[in-house]
Amino acid sequence: MERYLLKDIENPRSTDIGEYKKIGGYKSLIRALEMSPNDLIDEVKKSGLRGRGGAGFPTGMKWAFASADPKFPKYLICNADEGEPGTFKDRPILEKRPHLLIEGMAISGYAIGAEYGYIYLRGEYPEARDILEGAISEAYRDGFLGDNILGKGIRFHLSVHRGAGAYICGEETALIESLEGKRGQPRIKPPFPVNVGAFGMPTVINNVETLANIPLIVEIGADAYSKIGSPECPGPKIYCVSGHVEKPGVYELPMGSTLREIIYDHSGGVRGGKELKAVIPGGISTPVLPPDRIDCPMDFVNMPRYGSMLGSGAVIVFDETVCLVKVCYRALKFFEHESCGKCTPCREGTGWLRSILGRIDEGSGRKEDIDLLLDVAGNISGKTLCPLGDGAASVVTNFIRHFRDEFEKHMGKTCV
Amino acid sequence: MKDELLSEIKRLKERYPKGEAALLPALYLAQKQFGWLSREAMQSVSDCLHVPEATVKGVATFYSMYKHRQIGRHLIQLCTNVSCMLFGAERLVDILSERYNLATGGTTQDGRFSLVIMECIGACDRAPAMLVDADLHCNLNENNIGEILERYK
Amino acid sequence: MITVTINGREIRLEKPVTVLEAAEMNGIEIPHFCHHPLLEKWGGCRMCLVEVDKMPKLQTSCTLYVTDGMVVRTESEEIARARKGILEFLLINHPLDCPVCDKAGECSLQDLTVKYGAAAGRFEEGKRKHPESFDDPLIVRNMERCILCTRCVRMCDGVQGASAIAVTNRGSRSSVEPFSGGRYNCEYCGNCLTVCPVGAILSRLHVHSYRSWLVEKDVRTVCPYCGVGCSFVLQMRDNRIVRSLPRSDVGINRGILCAKGRFGYEFITSSERLRTPLIRVDGELKPATWDDAITLVANRLMEIRDKYGGGSIGGIASARCTNEENYVFQKFLRAGMRSNNIDSIARTGFAVAQRYIEDVLGQGSTANLISGIPRSEAVIVVGGDPTHINPVLGIHVREAFRRGATVLTVGYTPGLERFRTHGLSPYPFTEATLLGTILSEIVNQKGPHGEKVGGPQEIARFFEEFKAIPLSDMERVCGISCSALGNAIKDIISRSTISIIIGPEIIQSTHVRTNLFLLTAIAYMLGARIYLLSERPNEQGLIDMGCLPDTLPGGRPIDVESFRTRDEELWGCEIPSAAGLTLPEMVEAANSGDIKAMYIMGENPVYNLPDSAFVRASLEKLEFLVVQDIFMTETAEVADVVLPSLGWSEKDGSYTNLERRIQRLRKAVEVEGMEDWRILSEIGKKIGIRMPYNSPADILEEISRVSPLHAGLTYDDMERNTGLWPYKGEPLRQGPPRTPTLLPQGSLSICNAQTGRDKLYMAIERHMFLSGTMSRYSSALMSIYEGASVRINPDVARRLGQEGLVSSTETM
Repeated sequence: MERYLLKDIENPRSTDIGEYKKIGGYKSLIRALEMSPNDLIDEVKKSGLRGRGGAGFPTGMKWAFASADPKFPKYLICNADEGEPGTFKDRPILEKRPHLLIEGMAISGYAIGAEYGYIYLRGEYPEARDILEGAISEAYRDGFLGDNILGKGIRFHLSVHRGAGAYICGEETALIESLEGKRGQPRIKPPFPVNVGAFGMPTVINNVETLANIPLIVEIGADAYSKIGSPECPGPKIYCVSGHVEKPGVYELPMGSTLREIIYDHSGGVRGGKELKAVIPGGISTPVLPPDRIDCPMDFVNMPRYGSMLGSGAVIVFDETVCLVKVCYRALKFFEHESCGKCTPCREGTGWLRSILGRIDEGSGRKEDIDLLLDVAGNISGKTLCPLGDGAASVVTNFIRHFRDEFEKHMGKTCV
Repeated sequence: MKDELLSEIKRLKERYPKGEAALLPALYLAQKQFGWLSREAMQSVSDCLHVPEATVKGVATFYSMYKHRQIGRHLIQLCTNVSCMLFGAERLVDILSERYNLATGGTTQDGRFSLVIMECIGACDRAPAMLVDADLHCNLNENNIGEILERYK
Repeated sequence: MITVTINGREIRLEKPVTVLEAAEMNGIEIPHFCHHPLLEKWGGCRMCLVEVDKMPKLQTSCTLYVTDGMVVRTESEEIARARKGILEFLLINHPLDCPVCDKAGECSLQDLTVKYGAAAGRFEEGKRKHPESFDDPLIVRNMERCILCTRCVRMCDGVQGASAIAVTNRGSRSSVEPFSGGRYNCEYCGNCLTVCPVGAILSRLHVHSYRSWLVEKDVRTVCPYCGVGCSFVLQMRDNRIVRSLPRSDVGINRGILCAKGRFGYEFITSSERLRTPLIRVDGELKPATWDDAITLVANRLMEIRDKYGGGSIGGIASARCTNEENYVFQKFLRAGMRSNNIDSIARTGFAVAQRYIEDVLGQGSTANLISGIPRSEAVIVVGGDPTHINPVLGIHVREAFRRGATVLTVGYTPGLERFRTHGLSPYPFTEATLLGTILSEIVNQKGPHGEKVGGPQEIARFFEEFKAIPLSDMERVCGISCSALGNAIKDIISRSTISIIIGPEIIQSTHVRTNLFLLTAIAYMLGARIYLLSERPNEQGLIDMGCLPDTLPGGRPIDVESFRTRDEELWGCEIPSAAGLTLPEMVEAANSGDIKAMYIMGENPVYNLPDSAFVRASLEKLEFLVVQDIFMTETAEVADVVLPSLGWSEKDGSYTNLERRIQRLRKAVEVEGMEDWRILSEIGKKIGIRMPYNSPADILEEISRVSPLHAGLTYDDMERNTGLWPYKGEPLRQGPPRTPTLLPQGSLSICNAQTGRDKLYMAIERHMFLSGTMSRYSSALMSIYEGASVRINPDVARRLGQEGLVSSTETM
């Protein structure tokens, strides 16, 4: 398939605005400014684009909500807090194609009527910050950002806000808190950010990859765009593959490619010819799948039918040698470390789950611990303020659901 | 030192409709200037932004990339999350401890390195990975980690 | 109209509230921790989960607003399981140390665990450790008991505005801390203590001293410290106050207190309290019996009155005594001593301003509800920091700012630094110049005859004559940027409901009359409500009781014959028609020998008036000085007779706060001795004054007949909180209209540049924890007082080469 999002990334000078223009860069912005904001929103609605951050909310609809809110000013935030373990799909856009993101944001800002945009970039990507800031000044210089974009009297300012190491800030309301200079703890919803977001104003928060799709939609039109990938959630999708495969990396494929295709056709299959034991399909929070379920099409609609979620499209592959108890334990260590502490079940429950799993990993687990794990996970699940706690609980329940025997065998024993 | 910080923070404030929003970048600046977020560093930020000092501390301690003790000349941020773990990241932690007497969260005696264990740093396809200061190093193993660290004096 | 069904019961609601609120209003209990009616919604503890039809998951009832047709269940198997789970989570790291926890018996965690929790725990891992912090003199912090509901932080941040504590760290390592991690650097309002549902933050004053269920009685009363008049409950055990607790449903403070109200009650049990009457014998004060003391006072006063006339006797009333006592005091002077020389410390500020403003703007013009401040669109603060002088009123200003009001401060107001839109700091002594320019700009922009035609003539005339320093000269004259000032004025003018808060500094300065005139005129032009800050609990009350040289109870001018005749009939005596001496005049007269005797009730002029040495020397010249007080004050030291009285919490009565609300003060402590009113009536009886009082109720009954302002007022009215001005609407003024001197002599000259930039001036800052009298005897308040300090502008200090130099300061 032709690459749109990752076009030209092999070019060592791909971050340069001149190089970007050479391959048609900023033409979509020029075209978009010829359209009315409402037509743009309709076009994005028609394209069927769904948010690539994990929740899969229809982008056009989100824009329409914010646009309809009479409060002003409005804000556009790019969620570049790619923190879900296993995920590195936004990184090549941020580091290799900053102008694609900037163009996407300038178009989106115009569509929703936002005059200020922020890229909330995770603190762990220091290089991306320098690249983005360089690209932003180039875009200002060439009139793609500023008070009078392309002489059309349109205003859009953009800056990078660097996170400081908190996974929870990927959650949009926590991200807003963090942007406002506060502890990154999720807010109660409603109100939703489209109405009461950053600084109390209507705010659209889109993922990097989502925004990178916008110039493409403008370029080829909603009709052509909607024919790429799954009919229910069209467009190109960047899958990032890590773990035990021959060729880990990022792959831009049509949305809805199956897990099998991703692992075997694109990533070269399981490393060293070993057996596949399990796959986490969409980042660590998404339910693990056993090998018999890898024919699932990786999109927002089909994954739940197979008992998992698309998430960020971060595929982590485990071969037969992996101790899944250890993986589960490490995952819970992560959730405990990243729990923001605002709500009780997540704050206390993730630590409890971690300590039980640690006990099992060390070899001092007991048979009853499995039921205890499930019960504690059940007390978290559905009772937390944001999806982080649910994610932690679901990791435990799904590892046990599919690999209970491995947990049972681990009781009273360390694994070798 | 504080005047310099003040003028830089003033510039940062312009990016946001509310001055308090510059707290995260201001803390980064203070950390850079003071080396870590000492009491004085946080108080300076509090003064510059008119954010109460307790609030500054609350924010500064929420995020794991702000340092609350003096750190070494070079900061090693090593990822041990699942993808890196699969390729021996935990063994690398042991190696750092054995070879450099560098414990997690600690600093070498000569003040050269500090070690922090990171949750995913987004280099899972090149695991295990670490950041040394702002440089990303990937595909680490028992052999090359030493060579890499040798470059940091 | 919204109809919701909760547990099968249909509930109709006028406006959307949360499910939790709707349930509570209808007597349905939903357990919760992080929700608190005073605080911003949080939704963190997850204890209040309920089932809602058509919603897939359990919902937090504290954050979910009802919608029409919503069907809610608060009890089900799933909810019970969820609650049990939440409680289990809260307890896994909790020390379960109820036997030694002071919160036991009133702890939400304990109570809800009993009701909804599991019988046994399943957590086997080690608990999180966090040593209890005793670093602070007043607040004990136990983070192992903390359930991180953040009520304390939201209180400190969102209500109090002190932002002295925050949650630090993340996730299960979170804890609540002040910046230092140990000692608090805060306003010590202790409001965090009130909202903590568990034993995580406790007052050191009662830690490990009693169990909550051993409290013997709760006494509802009013705070003795300032003119706001906060309500609280005194919890009593063994005839001692163990705690003062505000109630969110009682009083104007609605659950909030300040440091003095929270921690300052100990003065009453101070070992330095006076218990025995003292009589000066051979130059020394010696203990005496009550009989001897009372007889001596009665005889000496009568002797002096008969020898030199009533005008030779003066009295100083007390803004800390009750209305009833102040009424008896002025009656004692007027009816018994035949003297109108009655005044109080309120003369130095509050009384002057209050009378002046009423004269110009009309009766009751300072009687404005404190609860109206947060609803203002603009608040102007002049002459002091309300967060220090009247802290709870100050909180209302902060709230106004948070709600979007424009807040303009003139002068030094550190407590409003983060809560103001415009902060103007004029050079010393140029406040009047600045106010003049503000007034002139308002007049120019609004027009002097706009909707205000028909206002007081003097103001109208003033508008025509008034030539203020032009805005453009403000930088030079007052040191205020003219654009900043211009913006501030424009901003204020564009707002509609405006409050002006006037503090003591502007009415104790050299240009009192000018300042008052300008402030009153500004208020008039803006149609603003005026709030007069009041440092003592009953300044307004003593004014209304007639403790002024020219005014009878109820604010009636003494020179109106019909008023006098009426009171003379009621009291059975003759009242001198000429106004008496004011407080400073009395001190002067004592010094010159025109006043021979003084009766000082609950006041310490030697300490509280400027030029202490002169005041002391003047009082020493008196032939006879009676001081009635609860402590051996600097003034009592020079008295001939010292009469120990009972203090706040030891007696019943009423106070009138700065918004003119009359509130009940109740006896909590049983102690031997006499109240101020009882001492006065005992002496009065010997002198032949009609004082047939057996209780404050008897006095109030007389007041309600004497003072038209208090006509028909009963303690029941106060109980129902209807004791607010104007009580029954009876006209207070009769006779010819009074034309007050609005324009002080030579007032316009003040508008010329008069600055003192070449000299250093010391401004007095009111302390938040100390007010000088009772607070000095409170060990709790003294423990957080960091001592007196002088602060110098660093630029000035550098210029003087004084940087880093500790200088000594002397005051007179």
